[in-house]
Amino acid sequence: MDILAQLIVSGISVGMIYGVIAFGYQLTFATSKTLNFGQGEALMLGALVGLTTINFLIATGMGTLLAFILMLPIVLIFGMMQGAVVEFLGVRQAMRTKSEAGWIMATIALGIIFKNLAENFWGRDALRFPSPLPEQALSVGAVRIQPMEIAILLGALGLMIAVEVFNRKSIYGKAVVATALDRDAAGLMGIDTRLVITFSYALSSMSAAFAGVLVAPITLTGAAMGGALGLKAFAVAIIGGLSSGYGVVVGGMILGITENLTGYYISTGYKDVPGLLLLLLVLSVKPAGLFGSTAIKKV
Amino acid sequence: MANKTFLLAILASTALVGVSVSASAQSGAPIKVGLSGPFTGGSSSMGVSMRDGVKLAVEEINKAGGVLGRPIQLIERDDEAKNEVGVQIAQELINKEKVVATLGFINTGVAQAAQRFYQEAEIPVLNNVATGSILTNQWPDQKINYVFRTSANDIIQSSMIAEEAITRQGFKKPAILADATNYGQLGREDMTNALAKLNIKPVAVEKFNIGDTDMTAQVLKAKEANADVILTYAIGPELAQIANAMAKLGWKVPMIGSWTLSMASYIDTAGPNGDGAIMPQTFIEMPTTPKRKAFIEAYHKAYGGDRMPSPVSAAQGYDSAYLLAAAITQAKSTDGAKIRTALENLETKIEGVVTIYDKPFSAKDHEAISPNIPVMGLVKGGRVVPAHPEDIAGDKAMRVKPKG
Repeated sequence: MDILAQLIVSGISVGMIYGVIAFGYQLTFATSKTLNFGQGEALMLGALVGLTTINFLIATGMGTLLAFILMLPIVLIFGMMQGAVVEFLGVRQAMRTKSEAGWIMATIALGIIFKNLAENFWGRDALRFPSPLPEQALSVGAVRIQPMEIAILLGALGLMIAVEVFNRKSIYGKAVVATALDRDAAGLMGIDTRLVITFSYALSSMSAAFAGVLVAPITLTGAAMGGALGLKAFAVAIIGGLSSGYGVVVGGMILGITENLTGYYISTGYKDVPGLLLLLLVLSVKPAGLFGSTAIKKV
Repeated sequence: MANKTFLLAILASTALVGVSVSASAQSGAPIKVGLSGPFTGGSSSMGVSMRDGVKLAVEEINKAGGVLGRPIQLIERDDEAKNEVGVQIAQELINKEKVVATLGFINTGVAQAAQRFYQEAEIPVLNNVATGSILTNQWPDQKINYVFRTSANDIIQSSMIAEEAITRQGFKKPAILADATNYGQLGREDMTNALAKLNIKPVAVEKFNIGDTDMTAQVLKAKEANADVILTYAIGPELAQIANAMAKLGWKVPMIGSWTLSMASYIDTAGPNGDGAIMPQTFIEMPTTPKRKAFIEAYHKAYGGDRMPSPVSAAQGYDSAYLLAAAITQAKSTDGAKIRTALENLETKIEGVVTIYDKPFSAKDHEAISPNIPVMGLVKGGRVVPAHPEDIAGDKAMRVKPKG
């Protein structure tokens, strides 16, 4: 029983990271029906920019926790700018020419370019990210949990709630929702839908960058860190459903927990298999995802 | 006018370079030697230390007049620890640069893929870090083998690990944790064999991928199997994740594993959680002989710092360059076949950093390091120190391959 609890707790924190990245996929898909396939690279850039900033702040004699908090707005703003660049260079052109696959190629290409830039800028080594919280694990009953794992859970939920509240309550958010519901009608109502799409890309990369600095203290930071995470989050987005913000959270947890359970109860060599099986299963039974609503496309 | 001054400056500097070359009294074209290793990426601490060790030795050799009156010129290439890049580099070094021999290889997979090109071209390879047991015996059907090694292979290492854990420290329930690469899986096999010789069966055998960040499942399995020691075959970052997962689960058993537990990426990432890990080392950064003292001082003078990123790689790299230089001198030629014959019948006794090389190779035996040479090292306070200081006390400091 204790072991099961331990595996689930560890799975949840990994799953939340998948969830935040997948949340970013969902944001842009809602407004533009396109995705940023370089989402993993957005995470990696966020983590590396965060690393440079936090090291700079610590060098000025600041405590790690304070430095981490001060670093956050810089990383979030950087993430937004990076997302806007991706939309401007990769997606806008493809949407204007109504290209079906142009944005896929363009966002993958941009992801590769960002990775190469990062390799040149930060090198190819994995770097240690200073942990803002003590690394000593806490005991909750028989379950051991690192403070940073709790921070990941709270931070990820907090960010997603903040974005959702913004979308539902503020006038700008309502423009986003309107565009998501019906882009043409929103345009007729005087909403600059192009700007809204740029904005959704900015929010999407911002969540990825935030996930990057959350996960960095318990792993290592480096140009190669984004690839596997971005891909797994993509699976999560499919499992949870690309139209549901709450689906990706559950999808992330499902994947994180199944990975750990398989690793323990079946074999650590097959850790990644059930997630992919689940992906295939969902695609064949409920293609819109476990929590997605089926869209009827009229032609 | 400005142009003219610039031209004069160029002429003057060319002349200066010319003077400095002739001043070192070396005639003839440089002898080109290839150097292949990962200078970036997860294995770079080993690659860079190896390269710096080789460069240090080559500088010393050139300062003393070079070989056959010619300076050695290193052609350095970064193989990024990728098999396919290693193959490209091998072809470039052989066909374009026309090297007379190549030093290097950190990763067993890269060496396995690249060495066959040297074998075909009849150019000797001194493999100075990669440990896969198969590397010096890749073509058992061919009479002549151009691959030599100056590192302790995995058969030596795995039996040392088993010996240390079972015989010396009395553990009975080892769990093996290895990564899914060639290195990890071949090592796991050697380790299971070494344990079987002591009539011990591991209570758990787990694996993980490079880049895995959560080792909870693997470590929990070892814990639930009541393992009393964890034996590892993996590289730095993932080893650190194992140490961190143990700390997280509040479960601590000793970690004993292959020499990669001495990698800076393990020691630095695991921090205090990594203390106490034990691994075979051919060289520990301590001035136990005058030669070692001089080497350590020269290394830090040239590259700064007070700790080598990977002392073993640096020492083995340094020694491999001296062995090659001695072989070329003895062969009186840069012909690959003649250098190989010279290596197999090396007449000069060379005092290196790791050991004294007295006929280190023969036609049948291409391993310079014998099982008695490495000692166990221990991670303590961010450095590697001897696990059993009595092993290297007094005249045991210099361990030499037995004759025969």
